Amino acid sequence: MSTGQTHPKPTHQHMRRNPPIAGEAEAIAKAQAGDARSFEMLYALHKRRVYSLCLRMLGNVAEAEDLTQEAFLQLYRKIGTFRGDSAFSTWLHRLSVNVVLMHLRKKGLPQVSLEETLEPSQEDGPRKDIGSRDLTLSGSIDRVTLERAVENLPPGYRLVFVLHDVEGYEHNEIADMLACSIGNSKSQLHKARMKLRELLRTGERKEPAA
Amino acid sequence: MMETHAKSQNGTIMNCAEFQDCLPELFESGKDLSSEEHLKTCENCAALVRDLEYIAQQAKLLLPLHDPSPAVWNNIQTAIQRDGDHPAKKPSETST
Repeated sequence: MSTGQTHPKPTHQHMRRNPPIAGEAEAIAKAQAGDARSFEMLYALHKRRVYSLCLRMLGNVAEAEDLTQEAFLQLYRKIGTFRGDSAFSTWLHRLSVNVVLMHLRKKGLPQVSLEETLEPSQEDGPRKDIGSRDLTLSGSIDRVTLERAVENLPPGYRLVFVLHDVEGYEHNEIADMLACSIGNSKSQLHKARMKLRELLRTGERKEPAA
Repeated sequence: MMETHAKSQNGTIMNCAEFQDCLPELFESGKDLSSEEHLKTCENCAALVRDLEYIAQQAKLLLPLHDPSPAVWNNIQTAIQRDGDHPAKKPSETST
């Protein structure tokens, strides 16, 4: 039995990340020099992605907005340290991820410690026994269903899944952001997808009875 | 537990557990998994691969999301003004 015939093959190149943004480099330079309008432009360019990350990680609009605000305030304070070694959006995302993780730790979620969260776990590892052969995802998972399933992922899995599969970051970039190994990032992504499959399949089974 | 054995590409026997252990790297390799020997004889693992590919594909639909409310920018501006002098007023350190 072969695969890849009924579903489109996933692309491993993400085209949406870091597209060239007209005027961004100039805005960065000016904002670094203290130009308020340029900083506002950077906010306008990046607010959606930062907010989306916060919202997906927190699942709460008020908290997500608070953290978006905090992320951009940190950007304002630290923008002078940006040297262009990575894309600005990646650098800003790393800063935002740290803001989110700090917040989650303060909320008393010790498992969000990156060292711990990204440590492979026996309990959450891939299941060797796939079990029932008749249950595959139907191919009709809609956005809302998937959003809900993502919300139910453990924070560490959710973060890597969002960064890689949703936002298109490469594992080396994620490893850099999260201060973990590339192998760890790959492992967490795989576990996240496995967990999502389980959540989606469970949802499918429950749906007719609801 | 269903154990399906198949010849891997290097000629060794690969069961479901071994195949699934290799899956993270196989996915990241970007290769066409339909050519994997194990999947030709294991319906369960083939279904798993299809599902994981499907999930990765559907994840791309999750962008874009919404913008934050205008209040966020207003709060940022207020905080900036409250902070007074800004580090960026120092000579630029950028190399961009």
